Amino acid sequence: MKRIGMVRSLVAVAIAAIAVGACSGGASTSPAASGGTGAAAKYSIGFSNPGGVGNGWREAMLCSAKAQAVKSGEVSKVTIFHRETDAAGQLADIRTLIAQGVNAIIINPAGPDALNPAIAEAIAAGITVVAVDASVTAPGAYNLSNDQEQYAYLGASWLFKEGMGGKGAVVYMRGIAGHPADTDRDTGFQRALKENPGITIASTAVTKWDPNTATTQINDLMSAGTKFDGIWTSGVDSNIVDALKAAGHPYVPIVGADNAGFVTQLLATDGPKGAAVTNPASIGGAGVALALQILDGKKPAETTVHVTPELWSNTDDAGKAKLKAAADPSLPKTWPLGLTIADWTTYSKPELIACKGPGEA
Amino acid sequence: MSAGIGMVPGARARSGDTAGAWARRNVWTLGLIGLLLAFLALTKVIQPNYGAPGIQGLAISILPIAFAAVAQAIVVISGGIDLSVGSMMALASVTSAVLMKDQGDVIGVAVVVGVLLLGATVGAINGGLVVATKVPDIVVTLAMSFVWAGTALLILNTPGGGAAPWLMAIISGPLGSPWLPKALIVLAVVVAVVWLPLRRSTMGLALYAVGSSRLAAFRSGIAVGRTKIIAYALTGFFSAMGGLALTASGGVGAPVPGSYTLQSVAAIVLGGVSLAGGRGGVLGPIIAVIVLALVRIDLTFLGVDPNLSTAIQGVILIGVVMFGSLVAMRKVRA
Repeated sequence: MKRIGMVRSLVAVAIAAIAVGACSGGASTSPAASGGTGAAAKYSIGFSNPGGVGNGWREAMLCSAKAQAVKSGEVSKVTIFHRETDAAGQLADIRTLIAQGVNAIIINPAGPDALNPAIAEAIAAGITVVAVDASVTAPGAYNLSNDQEQYAYLGASWLFKEGMGGKGAVVYMRGIAGHPADTDRDTGFQRALKENPGITIASTAVTKWDPNTATTQINDLMSAGTKFDGIWTSGVDSNIVDALKAAGHPYVPIVGADNAGFVTQLLATDGPKGAAVTNPASIGGAGVALALQILDGKKPAETTVHVTPELWSNTDDAGKAKLKAAADPSLPKTWPLGLTIADWTTYSKPELIACKGPGEA
Repeated sequence: MSAGIGMVPGARARSGDTAGAWARRNVWTLGLIGLLLAFLALTKVIQPNYGAPGIQGLAISILPIAFAAVAQAIVVISGGIDLSVGSMMALASVTSAVLMKDQGDVIGVAVVVGVLLLGATVGAINGGLVVATKVPDIVVTLAMSFVWAGTALLILNTPGGGAAPWLMAIISGPLGSPWLPKALIVLAVVVAVVWLPLRRSTMGLALYAVGSSRLAAFRSGIAVGRTKIIAYALTGFFSAMGGLALTASGGVGAPVPGSYTLQSVAAIVLGGVSLAGGRGGVLGPIIAVIVLALVRIDLTFLGVDPNLSTAIQGVILIGVVMFGSLVAMRKVRA
């Protein structure tokens, strides 16, 4: 009897240990502290990010939000929800932020519509809501995003025309199914595909913007013997180049984002032919800047603000120069290089890399 | 109501210590209620302006996981385990969202009923496979979790569809007092209407008996296979409720579920359901879901680093379960 009880409790503990990963929600708060620049630190800001834990872009986005909050001197506290979850989990996180009584909530949305009930509750409670990276449809919410459709269109058009010479099969490596940015990028990608009738899709993969998942997918394709002449990635890029190299597969033209590791690969003499499209992660800091403007009574005329992407290819001199100027091998490989946005963010690059919110030592 | 759901029949206990066993099992649930109150108080201390709106948000956000926990509790009590709970929730969520989009209230009600039947059917298929193939539950339901998840993605490959307005209204906001969230009432009513009568029936006794000892149950003349299939069907039913709660909370169907399966396992372990079967109720797991949610909220309010907070939650979960087991073992010895 006693032994059975012991075995049971051990089993229970083991299962509990496995299960806790599932119910864990990462969240961090910077404790209250006075602002650095003398202005009154009067606002409390919440940030809800529902995915991409361990993805450099998402990490940089959150660091830029913290850095901008510190730099503004107007923010006493930044509460960040950063965990792998679905729309229902993000709804819960937003409601927790409402209950906490923050002044503004910045959201990287899991879906364009699914968060609307909680956003409506936040706005009803007098909280400013800014969606960054992708848009939400809730009335009264502000959207500050990179132009994702243009992002995909620019890269795909370059890949199909310059990279692949107008014909061949492309591997299409998407982000998270249903994420508004992924949906917008798909629109842009399909537009470019339609304009280049010589291009076919060799395979479509949904990477969830997770480097490990994407590596497995490209390895599966190569071991299945799938023939492809080009790869379009939704920003999970440098590990794909690594996987091609490791498998001894000849490089094919590849499009990625302005991530540190990928740009370094594009600049290498034996690197693949490719292009990086800018997708500044500092949109997180820009979101904080916009929220503070609104809180201070300076509302923008439009509720949707787009940041326009650029394309840097290593096949022309102008692109090469831009790649060289942006490259920073000291950054983690999956970190984006677009760490500031003119007119929006005011912190310096080292301040972002330090990744400290108000009051954090 | 609470005593009813939390109570566990003394199927396992010898006649002499029935009263002791009864008290001991209820101590776990009572202890959890105490833990819940402690965490609520702690939340209020950390965040003085945490009040009725916070409770309402909490109730809506735990609703899908609470249904998942009830679903898992039933199958585990009957001696099985269902790793396809999350996938069945996704299937129910997308099916309801696709069928309900731009439809009237009447069709909405029909869809809800249909999805619940679908859930029960899908669950019965899981149970039928377990019984027919004699392959361990964990293997069958793991395999079926991929089947149901894939089916959900075939129905809707990105979040979409819609929810009937009444379905969203039924779980949002309070009823009467701002401290009484509708989501909590929905949870209590559904569990009370479906689980309580069943628990008190011969079928309920058979569930516990099969979970406690399959052989003893068989020799007592219980149709073990049929009982298991019914347990899985109930799990499917409550998973479908969880899926409907997902659709209702966001207004769209979610084809890729969160980690509800593992969360449900964590909740039943903390909720006092024995993974060996035959012991536990559904009130404990529901309270455990709320406690786990409050732990996360408190760690956020306290400003703990996200990664550290994950580790802390694990330690709290294991600590509570181990402490509970130790207390239980002491009692057995005494």
